[in-house]
Amino acid sequence: MNIKHHPTDQTLMDYASGTMSQAMELLVATHMTVCPHCRDKVAEFETMGGAVLENVTRMEMADHSLDHVMAMLERETANENPAVQELPMTRRIAVGESITGSAMPSIPTPLVKFLPDNVLSLEDVPWKTLAPGVKHFQLKSVESKGTVRLMKIAPGVSIPDHGHHGHEMTLLLKGSYIDDIGRFRAGDVADLDDDVDHQPIADTAEECICLIATDAPMKFSGFLPKLLQPFFGI
Amino acid sequence: MSGTVTKRPGPADPAEAKKCADWIVSVAAIRDREAFACLFAHFAPRVKAYMFRFGGNSETAEELAQEAMMQVWRKAHLFDPSKAAASTWIFTIARNLRIDRFRQRKHIEVDDSDTALIVDTDPLADEVVSRDEHAVLVKAAMEELPTDQKIVVELSFFEDCSHSEIAERLDIPLGTVKSRLRLALGKMRGGLEDLA
Repeated sequence: MNIKHHPTDQTLMDYASGTMSQAMELLVATHMTVCPHCRDKVAEFETMGGAVLENVTRMEMADHSLDHVMAMLERETANENPAVQELPMTRRIAVGESITGSAMPSIPTPLVKFLPDNVLSLEDVPWKTLAPGVKHFQLKSVESKGTVRLMKIAPGVSIPDHGHHGHEMTLLLKGSYIDDIGRFRAGDVADLDDDVDHQPIADTAEECICLIATDAPMKFSGFLPKLLQPFFGI
Repeated sequence: MSGTVTKRPGPADPAEAKKCADWIVSVAAIRDREAFACLFAHFAPRVKAYMFRFGGNSETAEELAQEAMMQVWRKAHLFDPSKAAASTWIFTIARNLRIDRFRQRKHIEVDDSDTALIVDTDPLADEVVSRDEHAVLVKAAMEELPTDQKIVVELSFFEDCSHSEIAERLDIPLGTVKSRLRLALGKMRGGLEDLA
């Protein structure tokens, strides 16, 4: 996968500090699964978080805090069954694998967890038609702030020129599209601020599937159909 | 109630950072209670301060700091000193626990055993620096930042506020917050290259 467009440093820092909406976090973690470059950057920001933790003005723990914790742990350790311990963290060794085709080989785990149980491939998603050539599926997030959805756009179809309410990110999962910023392929992220206008067009013979996360509150969930309305005459 | 506040510097050199990492490894290997007590003395008051900044209540902060340290004990076998410094690893434990408790959900992370995971076939050449040395360099680079930039970085990690909330808090325009962060990140990266 040859990823050219990444989330901005500020977005990755918000991910590392744990201060972004669940919707955004889902998109960033999905991108990071296929992007070692961004995983490295997030590790760097987490190191920064560790440095801030080292520098913080300490708050003394309560009296006997350690004794209390130790007593609880002793009890746990006494009942410990080594067989049920989690497996050690192992990152897979690079084997020089090359990913062919224009789609992700399988749906990354962070995204799978937000899909209905029976959905194993992007084809199985229970798509709902939004407009001719445009289907979508709204993912459920726990937090009310932000929305996240999958969109499927037929070849040659364009999303009307639109600005953004707040922060919006798009992750390409399949196919490609082109807009004022450039060409986006599977794995690429368009990380747009509220002041950017763009008009993406699915530009190959293949349909385009993407994940879109916004920080806009739920009440904006109808804004896309509304924008599409005049364009598609529905 | 709220404990007295003391200030003690964190590890200033890689040897001290390595000591923290060794303690975690020892907790994993032999359930080393002494090593755990050292980790507790070093990190629990810091994690408590972190939780306090997000929760605003010293009892909750105390309880969450205890819980975070218990996770350090339970998850010590998952710690890999070649992947992260002790401070980095404990920061992520505290962050995840904070999201779990205050936002009632899990932090969404990459699954290392994911079949969709793409690994780097061209690892960076800077692996010659150990994670402990690296963490100390990052800390040094951060201390070098001008105060206005340092505050923005600290608020980003230590308060649950967006960039626009930081702008409001500091009474500066949003664009200024963003440019200070950008400058700080650039400077830290540049500083790291100089130092490495």
